[in-house]
Amino acid sequence: MTDHNDLDTLAAEFVLGTLPAEERSVVATRRNEDPELEALILAWEARLAPLLDEVEPIQPGPDLLARIEKRLDELESSAVSSNPVTQGATVTELTRRLRRWQWSTAVASAAALMLVAILAFQPAEEPQSFVAVFQHDDQQPAFLLSVDLENRQLNIRPVTAEPVQGRSYQLWIKADELGPNPRSVGVLTNNMTIDESALRQYDPELLKAATFGISVEPEGGSPTGQPTGPAIHGYLYPTGEGKSGHQL
Amino acid sequence: MESESPKPFEAQRTPSDHPEGALLLTSKDIGKLIAKVAQRDRAAFARLYEATAPKLLGTVLRILRDRAWADDVIQDVYIKIWQKATQFDAGRASAIAWMASIARNSAIDELRKHPARRTVSDDDIEQIASVQPTAQAQLEGQQAVASLNRCLDELEKDRQDMVRLAYLNGWSRDQLAAHFDQPVNTVKTWLYRALKQLKRCLAP
Repeated sequence: MTDHNDLDTLAAEFVLGTLPAEERSVVATRRNEDPELEALILAWEARLAPLLDEVEPIQPGPDLLARIEKRLDELESSAVSSNPVTQGATVTELTRRLRRWQWSTAVASAAALMLVAILAFQPAEEPQSFVAVFQHDDQQPAFLLSVDLENRQLNIRPVTAEPVQGRSYQLWIKADELGPNPRSVGVLTNNMTIDESALRQYDPELLKAATFGISVEPEGGSPTGQPTGPAIHGYLYPTGEGKSGHQL
Repeated sequence: MESESPKPFEAQRTPSDHPEGALLLTSKDIGKLIAKVAQRDRAAFARLYEATAPKLLGTVLRILRDRAWADDVIQDVYIKIWQKATQFDAGRASAIAWMASIARNSAIDELRKHPARRTVSDDDIEQIASVQPTAQAQLEGQQAVASLNRCLDELEKDRQDMVRLAYLNGWSRDQLAAHFDQPVNTVKTWLYRALKQLKRCLAP
């Protein structure tokens, strides 16, 4: 038997599903680095896939898609952790914080929901300012939020976000100490500004651990006190030493 | 509606509850949806799900035999499809085979991790014993299905059953060995020969 034959047999049994678990996981890893193996696997998948004609389709339950979409939302909002711009321990910490961020069930069921974003910037010394980037469609930053912890001053700057007729943008904060639901920080004015001192009531330590989000609400702000409208996904950018921050 | 390619994926909806008519998508249509999903198009993702979930759920459930378990795996499968959509290359694989392989691999990986969770059932044997070309296959003359069935028919009966039980029902070598009352190494050899023979038979 030649090497090619061995490899082809391995690919065939991988696709058939009969490889013992350990070998199976070795092949699953190896296929990513071995184009020949990958090609052989694809060929076997193509050969055997017509067998699936014998499988009876089964209608999924009505809520399965919603469950998947909810997980996608969560995934998208924590996609920051895989953003190449973010690095190191800060990322781990922020990812952990992002996972803690969960809007109420009512919000989760609202169509396009969620956004999240957080603070990046943690220089070696005691951090005093933070930046969160709120991002549309995975491409362009929509808002930039900076927080000066020392003075508890807040500044929000639209980057690509534009005012929407009859709608308002609303900024939210969420932290363990504030309970399970996001709390409104304020509604952006038509000029896309917000009261600089809106965070004054919060302790700097709380702010450091908090997460922020921006949602699109009816004019004047959410009627329910909780985010109701589509929200903008947030992605993190560290601004340490100004390297990646300047890209913005 | 195009008719040049097989249509194993079909949403189980009637035209009356779907204003655009029944979703009968060709593999090419599904490939286009995957391309949109690769660009983070959530509406395309929902359409892709509607068109393919019944078939993938059927595939996964046949392997796992537990509805709640299968539902969980289907969630993982669609998350993977979302994440891997950029890797899909229509020039290298059919959209259907690509999605089905993600579903089957996920189900089989799960099953190998928790073998005790699957109830061994005579249904498996009945399922493969009652294999008939489906009405759809006959009507549409799905060439690939017909070729594979023809080649499987050339195998000895036991080996045909082994291939189906492994591929469709997720049976391991050990389970095949127990059922066919053969040493595992014999099963391995039989599978090896069966796969070689299939490959030769299917070669253009």
